[in-house]
Amino acid sequence: MSSELVRLGRKRALPSCPNPLFLEWLTELRDQAAEKGLKTQYVYQKALSSLKKYPLPLNNGKEAKILQNFGDGICKILDDRLEKYYRVNGPDAPIHSLPSGVQASGHCSTNLDPSKASSNTQELPGTSGGDHKKTQKGEVRREKGARKKRGYVPQKRSGGHAVLLTLYRHSQVPDSKGFMFKNELQTESQPLCDKSFTVPDLGSKYTAWASVGTLIQRDLVLKTHNPARYSLTELGLVVAEQLESGEREEKNDQKVEEEKREGGEAVECPDTVDLTLDDDDHDDEGVSGRLAKRPSPVGPTEESPTEESQAVEHGEAAARGILLPGCYEIILCVDFIETTGGNTAGKPDLVTELQKNGVTFDIRKLNVGDFLWVAREQVAPDPGQLRPPTVRELVLDYIIERKRMDDLCGSIIDGRFREQKFRLKRCGLHKPIYLVEEHGSAAAHLSLPESTLQQAIANTQVVDGFFVKRVQDVKESAAYLTIMTRYLQKLYTNRTLHCRSRELEGDGPRGAQVSCSLMSFTEFNHGAVKSKCQTVREVFARQLMQISGLSGDKAAAILEHYNTVNRNLGPALSRTVYQLYCTKGPLS
Amino acid sequence: MSVKRVQTWELSDSESESDSEGNPKRAYTHVSVKDGNTLSVPQITEARLGHGMRSDAIIVLEEDAKDALKPSKRTETNTPSPGKKRRSRDEVDTDRARAEEKKAERERAKKEREKKKEEKKQEQQQRKEAAERLKSYRPENYVKCLTVRIHPVLLQDGNSDVLSETLSELEWKSCIEPHSLTHSITWKRSVPQEEAEDGEVEEEQVLMVISLYEFMDVVQSVKQVLKGDSSRHEKSGLLAALSDHLNTHTESVVTMLVMGSGQHRKRGSWYHSHGDLRSQLGMQDVEIEEVLVYLELYKSVCVHFLYNWKEVTDQVCTYTKALSKRPFKALSECTELGFCVDGSWAGGTRVERDGKGLAEVWGRQIQQLNRVSPAVATAVTSAYPSPQLLLQAYEKLDSEKERRALLADLTVKGMVKERRVGPEFSARIYRVLTTENTQLVLD
Repeated sequence: MSSELVRLGRKRALPSCPNPLFLEWLTELRDQAAEKGLKTQYVYQKALSSLKKYPLPLNNGKEAKILQNFGDGICKILDDRLEKYYRVNGPDAPIHSLPSGVQASGHCSTNLDPSKASSNTQELPGTSGGDHKKTQKGEVRREKGARKKRGYVPQKRSGGHAVLLTLYRHSQVPDSKGFMFKNELQTESQPLCDKSFTVPDLGSKYTAWASVGTLIQRDLVLKTHNPARYSLTELGLVVAEQLESGEREEKNDQKVEEEKREGGEAVECPDTVDLTLDDDDHDDEGVSGRLAKRPSPVGPTEESPTEESQAVEHGEAAARGILLPGCYEIILCVDFIETTGGNTAGKPDLVTELQKNGVTFDIRKLNVGDFLWVAREQVAPDPGQLRPPTVRELVLDYIIERKRMDDLCGSIIDGRFREQKFRLKRCGLHKPIYLVEEHGSAAAHLSLPESTLQQAIANTQVVDGFFVKRVQDVKESAAYLTIMTRYLQKLYTNRTLHCRSRELEGDGPRGAQVSCSLMSFTEFNHGAVKSKCQTVREVFARQLMQISGLSGDKAAAILEHYNTVNRNLGPALSRTVYQLYCTKGPLS
Repeated sequence: MSVKRVQTWELSDSESESDSEGNPKRAYTHVSVKDGNTLSVPQITEARLGHGMRSDAIIVLEEDAKDALKPSKRTETNTPSPGKKRRSRDEVDTDRARAEEKKAERERAKKEREKKKEEKKQEQQQRKEAAERLKSYRPENYVKCLTVRIHPVLLQDGNSDVLSETLSELEWKSCIEPHSLTHSITWKRSVPQEEAEDGEVEEEQVLMVISLYEFMDVVQSVKQVLKGDSSRHEKSGLLAALSDHLNTHTESVVTMLVMGSGQHRKRGSWYHSHGDLRSQLGMQDVEIEEVLVYLELYKSVCVHFLYNWKEVTDQVCTYTKALSKRPFKALSECTELGFCVDGSWAGGTRVERDGKGLAEVWGRQIQQLNRVSPAVATAVTSAYPSPQLLLQAYEKLDSEKERRALLADLTVKGMVKERRVGPEFSARIYRVLTTENTQLVLD
């Protein structure tokens, strides 16, 4: 193992793709298309990216259809090639793990004797990609085989590498909690990674964080709980240990390099990575993306250095998670759904009204609520950078759910009403506001009686503890939002804001009139994703609740150590649960 | 997988101990899974096995008890027998010691049983109390311990009769009491002596009922505050009273009900009342809105415009109902699960005594995983009509990889195009059914 350690990270350790044939053919197709300047090269590129991420073997082109970016066309091409390949290499030729000797490209392999080729492949174990077959093809293949044997090792300074190292180092700290939250993992991994964990490079939608998916797939990293906790698996620990010792060995070399570098230009970094070797296929990045790629890490805490001392001070404060008075502005954020509302022609829509009122607002996708306010850091754009500087945003404690009476009615009927309130209550913002638009004439045709709706509104205030704001119509809603924005701007002049991570520090104190300890917008919005990742526990609870009479608290009781809880299922329910899981034959 | 065996016998009130023995149907209730919060499907299976072993153990234990009796009988019969050779002193001693030991053991067992009986009794008692407490939390019962308190100022308006009349019609308790905030309606709730000295607690909700005219006074005060002209701000006005109340009652949540001049609203135009009343204030919308936002942000006070005492009375009723529902809702709201337990998915399927309906449950269970359509669920349930059959199929496979991919090739029917279940979902359902780490994230 140690002989390989030296090479760790230096060369791209290809994750062994279970579908090397398809990979090769698609690469070929892409390159051909690129040569001719055809747009189809992008189609192939996209398909390639999906294929590389796919961990399981595919038996034919048709099967590949389940992958993103695989249309009928590509599948057909693959099947045609596969047919040729079988014709050449025999019908039993392995297609999943490519033995080094086998000529993969169907079109130029006619010079091979089919029977010979198939006998070649039959000698080889299907999965280990035999590196002992050195006779036929060139060095490249052989090397690939050798790497495969070593298993997956992420490339140095890639996202995966950084994450493994960070988790490893964290686990070595005495009294470590044994896992890391997303935000802290990102922040602490960032210095070890060239690519940003939070901002995708221009022309790409992936950040270095995408490689965590790969690590989980490869059983190196374990993702548990909600909010997510990341830790190393046993396998991951082994790999991370290798990485760490590799790092240490290289430190000496680096010292020399660094000394050299200090003499020269500080920005010039000799270790700039070749993008094509990146862990998570970002080969689709355009030229501009490459230009924008900075050798230095771009973290949220990183500030472009300017000469003004104020900016420096401000940058330092930002690095400590603090926004100083005057360095941020309060902005209203509007969920994009509010802009797409299918309002009938002639009715004023909210965004137009807000514009009329001259409010500065920002439209974005909010995972919970319809309106909220952020304190956005004001950063002067750096003319030397293509990418705009990373701007911190903290969320104020107010979040508004807007409901027209007919919406309210509909959501009570279909159950969304409770769900939404539940999510609002747990979103981490302490001042949820229910904005009810009473809308005159529409009321007459509602399917629930007025008293029911009034009761629901009163419950929202009394039981759920929301602030209830009643307005007449969209215009009044806009007026309300406008004035709220102005008042909040006033309320937050001269206040120093602190960034509080909910994951790490829990919810802030409730009840404060003006809270200055705020969550970052990213953390807030991420934490509020609706179809959040399910845990096994959650699925199991939901599954139990499919039995009539098995309520949420009963499911919870089953999940907890059952009979220490003072909660009795009763003979009928426990019989049913027993029958469900222990009936040997089909259920009725 | 650690399945801890029974610690306390949990029995429902209706069943006797003997009845439950050897009754595998109830096995589940007897088994405690001690391993924290991990309990997955195979563990239930395991738990069942655990129970099987345990009931054997009980039988064994009883046989032990019989054995314990047998030799002692033998000793009794042996001693007087004249024909037999006298046993050595040692033998006798050992026998006696053994007998004593067994006696002690019996005693222990007896004590153990009594202790368990006692525990069981206590537990039943506790459960009974809990059930009663739960019953008292039901809104229709809970409302009986609430008293609506009306500030006497409000009675000066002759039209307010409708409020007290309605309350007595509903048989809700009410009283007239000059309390902290003028013009207000509040609630108190009677509680057991140990929770509060005088046996009652004030609810945090406060309704402040004022006329349009009085609201104008509040508006003027707010405007002065906004101008920064607080020196001229009257210390005696309603806003001052409100502020004083909020300073001393930090928990209070005040809703201002601003009432119009008492005319009857036009039929069907209930939703317009708010706007109409605003226009009666003779102020621009923006001005009013500013005052309202000030009250919201600085006092957490919500303002609600109403036409007359009838509407105020309706509001008092909805608030009372909301308050009476609150404890029960808090109880049934299940926060430890981390997701909202209400929703169309949560209804549950009725299952008969003979297990009829379980097939549907199994199908719906599969759909509880994210992004699973009914068609996909059907593909799984028709191939494996029970969880056990699927688990057995997993057991037959050798490698993890195969097990993960077991369902991937199932065909999903009823789609326009025929599809497979796919490896991603196959791997997910495999994990759900077999993992021991229940905190594992599936996606």
